[in-house]
Amino acid sequence: MSANWISTRAWLLMLPLLVVMVSVIGWPLVDTVRLSFTDAKLVGTEGSFVGIANYEKMLAGSNFQRALVTTTWFAVVSVAAEMVLGVLAALLLHQQFRGRTALRALMILPWALPTVVNATLWRLIYNPEYGALNAALTQLGLIDSYRSWLGEPGSALTALIIADCWKNFPLVALIALAALQAVPRDITAAALVDGAGPFNRFRFVIMPYLAGPLLVALVLRTIEAFKVFDIIWVMTRGGPANSTRTLSILVYQEAFSFQRAGSGASLALIVTLLVTVLAAAYAALLRRAAGAA
Amino acid sequence: MSALEIRNIQKRYGDVETLKGIDIALESGEFLVLLGSSGCGKSTLLNIIAGLAEPSGGDILIGERSILSAHPKDRDIAMVFQSYALYPDMSVARNIGFGLEMRKVPAAEREKAVRDTARLLQIENLLDRKPSQLSGGQRQRVAIGRALVRNPRVFLFDEPLSNLDAKLRMEMRTELKRLHQMLKTTVVYVTHDQIEAMTLATRIAVMRDGRIEQLGTPAEIYDRPATLYVAGFVGSPPMNILDAEIVGHQVRIARSDEVLPLPRDFKRTTVSSGPVKVGIRPEALRLADFGASGARLIADVEVMELTGPELVTTATIGGQRITACLPPRTALATGSTQAFSFDEAALHLFDPESGRSLRAA
Ligand SMILES: Nc1ncnc2c1ncn2[C@@H]1O[C@H](COP(=O)(O)OP(=O)(O)O)[C@@H](O)[C@H]1O
Ligand SMILES: [Mg+2]
Repeated sequence: MSANWISTRAWLLMLPLLVVMVSVIGWPLVDTVRLSFTDAKLVGTEGSFVGIANYEKMLAGSNFQRALVTTTWFAVVSVAAEMVLGVLAALLLHQQFRGRTALRALMILPWALPTVVNATLWRLIYNPEYGALNAALTQLGLIDSYRSWLGEPGSALTALIIADCWKNFPLVALIALAALQAVPRDITAAALVDGAGPFNRFRFVIMPYLAGPLLVALVLRTIEAFKVFDIIWVMTRGGPANSTRTLSILVYQEAFSFQRAGSGASLALIVTLLVTVLAAAYAALLRRAAGAA
Repeated sequence: MSALEIRNIQKRYGDVETLKGIDIALESGEFLVLLGSSGCGKSTLLNIIAGLAEPSGGDILIGERSILSAHPKDRDIAMVFQSYALYPDMSVARNIGFGLEMRKVPAAEREKAVRDTARLLQIENLLDRKPSQLSGGQRQRVAIGRALVRNPRVFLFDEPLSNLDAKLRMEMRTELKRLHQMLKTTVVYVTHDQIEAMTLATRIAVMRDGRIEQLGTPAEIYDRPATLYVAGFVGSPPMNILDAEIVGHQVRIARSDEVLPLPRDFKRTTVSSGPVKVGIRPEALRLADFGASGARLIADVEVMELTGPELVTTATIGGQRITACLPPRTALATGSTQAFSFDEAALHLFDPESGRSLRAA
């Protein structure tokens, strides 16, 4: 059988899948691109061609710029906190102690919960009238009166970041824990005999084994955090005073709340481009890291 | 004064007793080899000396002072691991100097020490490389360098050569012997390879099941094995062990008419008649005339294997196999009946119940 036939057959076998993929991913994408050059409304008018007017309007608008800042802040702070928390949790769970297995299983729970459940849970915790956070802080004497954590523009984004961290640090911890278990025992022993203290052991012995997996976790988490939608939608809907309106929320509002399909599509494509650039940059970083190892 | 003293060291993992009371005292400059099959507790003992594991009982002294409460870094020991255990991100130079770096030795002094050690091990040209760019033998040299540079009171080696191929293993063995002759540091060396033990050790501790089966110089272990286990473990091909019976002043090989005189140093108090195990090393056997007097056995030649330096011959006596290592150009025919002679001193007798040697101490 010729190599040619084998490759032809391979394509034939993949054909059904390709058809499905083109129709569910390719077609909507093409249609979104078409829409973004029109002034179509969600219902009613088909819209007419307006060139790059939508893009100009969106990029120049203060809504987009503010959402970009909010999104970046959300992604950077929550991912950084998740990485630190995750590594610390992994180091703890790597120690030998009674109940370690149970604690390891328990730690995965926040990550395993559906985002909606998690978001609802945190809304209860932050509730201005009967929330656990208000109760705890009052009893500790840290605040005088109950506050509306999600209702004040000053605290809503931070409250969201905390909720997101709680949900996602277990993923980082899990990846880090797997990496820790791959550190050869002999190398740790050699470092002990060589006289390296806990900090130097972490820096010189553990870190080389942790760096690669953590980079993967970082990539995954940043891209996800940049696209964040559901947890915010359930907890604040982008409010108060648009203080938690990230790019995905903005796209949703533009296209569905304000029913401007054309400009909504252009905004969606801008966000897609940003995420693609981010992903490409990380891919290059990963390739370089793999090359160095 | 002992350089290193191991006193009644015990180790339990749950219900399992891994070490059942180990006692060894080493003079300064000795090369002790812990020899035993896999799982007998060699690494456990070494890790206890290094401070990487805690004993369940007993004490370890270096220079008359107990070191059990000391942190591994404060024990004045250095260790070489089977897996080399090099730090993957550091250059060879930094790997070697890391112990000094952690001990805050000034950079200039450290660099000189690293360079001197590298010269000693002939790896000066590798100092800038990463461990991943080295061959197995080179990594092993770096691992040894990392231990040497610290100039510790005691070196610990855990099967350092077992990941190398046969040729390299021999080379490194010689290298280690050269280094020990030059530096005269006290060494505890773990291996399951009896050739390594015989060639390197000033003393060998043969371990079995968490106990020391015999502690002695290589010559003692080889010439006067204390138990059947030691007799079978050291030597290649292993010692011939035959079922036999003591009858009066003679030993008769089971199911045959072959009789041997009782050795002069035979311990008559333990067994004076009845079954015994007879041990004769293959290399102690020679071809002899049928008429020759003294200790000799008559056996039927079954198989001959020429290894190059010797002709390994397998023969049977009363259904029991014996192996003889003969000179390579010995004229011998398969199926023939041959007389094999040996010196009386090469004859070992063991109690079949306890496995202990019946030689008077
Ligand atoms: N951390 C441990 N937990 C339980 N058992 C262990 C542990 N370390 C070693 N052992 C047991 O102790 C015995 C001796 O192990 P080891 O000292 O590594 O043997 P060796 O080095 O002679 O091959 C083995 O049976 C092993 O299963
Ligand atoms: Mg071992």
